[in-house]
Amino acid sequence: MASSSDQVREHSCFQEWIAQQECDLSELLHYMEAPANSDETSAAREVCLRQLVDKNIRHFQAYSEKRIRLARDDVSPFFSPTWCSIFENSLLWLGGCRPTLLIRLVYALCGLQIESQLDKFLEGIRTGNLGELSARQLSLINDLQGRTIKEEGRLSSCVASLQEKIGDQPIATIVNESSSEFLEPNAKVDEALDEHEQSMVSMLEEADRLRMKTLKELMNILTPLQAVNFLAASKKLHLCVHACGKRRDRFHGRRGK
Amino acid sequence: MAGMCYGVNMGETETSTPVEPSSKSARRRRMEIHQFNFVPNDSAVAPPPLPKKKRQRIETVVDPVPPPPRSCGVEGNVLTTVPEEEDEGSTTTTFDLSATTSNDVVPTERPKFGMTSVCGRRRDMEDSVAIHPSFCDSRSGLHFFGVYDGHGCSHVATKCKDRMHEIVRDEYGTGELSWEHTMNQSFSKMDKEVTDWPRGANGGAASSSCRCELQTPHCDAVGSTAVVAVVTPEKIVVSNCGDSRAVLCRNGVAIPLSVDHKPDRPDELNRIQDAGGRVIFWDGPRVLGVLAMSRAIGDNYLKPYVIPEPEVTITDRTVEDECLILASDGLWDVVSNETACGVARMCLQSRRPPSPPRSPGSDVNVTDAGESSDRACSDAAILLTKLALARHSTDNVSVVVVDLRRGQ
Repeated sequence: MASSSDQVREHSCFQEWIAQQECDLSELLHYMEAPANSDETSAAREVCLRQLVDKNIRHFQAYSEKRIRLARDDVSPFFSPTWCSIFENSLLWLGGCRPTLLIRLVYALCGLQIESQLDKFLEGIRTGNLGELSARQLSLINDLQGRTIKEEGRLSSCVASLQEKIGDQPIATIVNESSSEFLEPNAKVDEALDEHEQSMVSMLEEADRLRMKTLKELMNILTPLQAVNFLAASKKLHLCVHACGKRRDRFHGRRGK
Repeated sequence: MAGMCYGVNMGETETSTPVEPSSKSARRRRMEIHQFNFVPNDSAVAPPPLPKKKRQRIETVVDPVPPPPRSCGVEGNVLTTVPEEEDEGSTTTTFDLSATTSNDVVPTERPKFGMTSVCGRRRDMEDSVAIHPSFCDSRSGLHFFGVYDGHGCSHVATKCKDRMHEIVRDEYGTGELSWEHTMNQSFSKMDKEVTDWPRGANGGAASSSCRCELQTPHCDAVGSTAVVAVVTPEKIVVSNCGDSRAVLCRNGVAIPLSVDHKPDRPDELNRIQDAGGRVIFWDGPRVLGVLAMSRAIGDNYLKPYVIPEPEVTITDRTVEDECLILASDGLWDVVSNETACGVARMCLQSRRPPSPPRSPGSDVNVTDAGESSDRACSDAAILLTKLALARHSTDNVSVVVVDLRRGQ
């Protein structure tokens, strides 16, 4: 019925997102690499960086809202997207990245920068990057991590319960009572599956909400410069995994992604 | 190594270096920082602290960390509490000691310290840290520092955090002369408490927000390391059980004040075998192939091979002492004693230079000149923690840095 056009819309939603990510990344890199303008006060630069961060968050938000709208019509593809590489799909947690992955990325970037700049740091040279997370920032991030792990756990067990439900009533009963005509369309089964998909839409919404919440909180903990650094790194990571995944698909003879 | 003999009573220990697989030590050596280019006392010393503009914003956006349970000059230094424990309520105890401290007319030497404790790359937080300045009374100048790294679940480490300093205080109050005896008794009582706890009439059921929910038999397989330092005006008393570690930084030299209890440490191996136990290599040496340390609080099911008896070292303080570092193996697995001391002492020696205006978030806690040393300890603790994360520590990381310099 509407399936082919659904697929087209879902696919293009993702393609637009990837294009948006690329565009945002080059803007972020541009700001990071631009030499500090001597006329520009540091406060003005900070305002500028903060606006850039806010813009990126708005883009995330817009993408999330758009795909939820599409998911309300047809949710399953978002849990196993045909527009992503098989490798990306193997990484999915409820239709996207694990929110705690963001924390790990902060630690990795912090570590990378601190190890390479330790000598300079001890000499008192400061660059304001992620290696310089303050005690308070680290504490807030640790706290955020704890809460996010808990929330992830809660959602994971909700989805586990939904998945188990497929083996339970009413579908199990319907299938068991019908002799062999279960291959035929069955209104009751469809009804049960529709209900299941509705629940999955809620799961996707909740997962997206947690991803957004984690990102926003993190952006508030980081300084604007650190936040810009982080966003650039996260987009590089996403685009890299997407590109590598597609290459792997081609290597293994899977085509048409 | 010479430092090991410096007024240190190593108890029954006969070897002084923990045995370490050569490949691991080689890896550690590779990971050492080759050189510090820091020049002490250069022109960068003691600049004015930066005005803090950013902090308020951060505070309004995110829930602030609960304040530390102490009153004496630790604001902003106590960094992190275990996330799971925050709702528990039981860990934010109020101590009768703090009242006496704050009302004291002539405070004794105020300890300066910094602390960081993070979950890091693990999904469960099982480390706990306890810091109690003037934990016996306000005049004796005895300060308590403890790091507990739990395994199996978090509740034994949490219990140690809540109770160990009280037990030590009570033991000390009995007038027992020897610190060694006091600490031995304290660890033994601590162990008894955690062992009896789940079976007790009012069990842990009410306060068990931990993973295992104190269900037997699982909770028999839970334990914790404990490294406790009591710092007196004259001495540093370190009691250790397990593989957390205390290291003294004295005139730039790293002096371990505890020796990790690893099952393959020759004397520990003998003790375990004499008791009828075995050490089996299963992802490293483990008691009965299970536990990768030979002493711990708790772990009832591994007794008598795994014992709660601490090794106690008593070290006379000297004017050359710079700082004491207590940390869980999340730090020591990836940062050597020497590197840790090097980093900590540089942080203590260098007053914070002004940061460029773009990094306000890196500079949030400085209050007044009186706390700048606490700030330095805090800087040291956080830098060591970040270094551990940088070197891919996969464990929880807890670090306490205590300033031992006189007359600062």
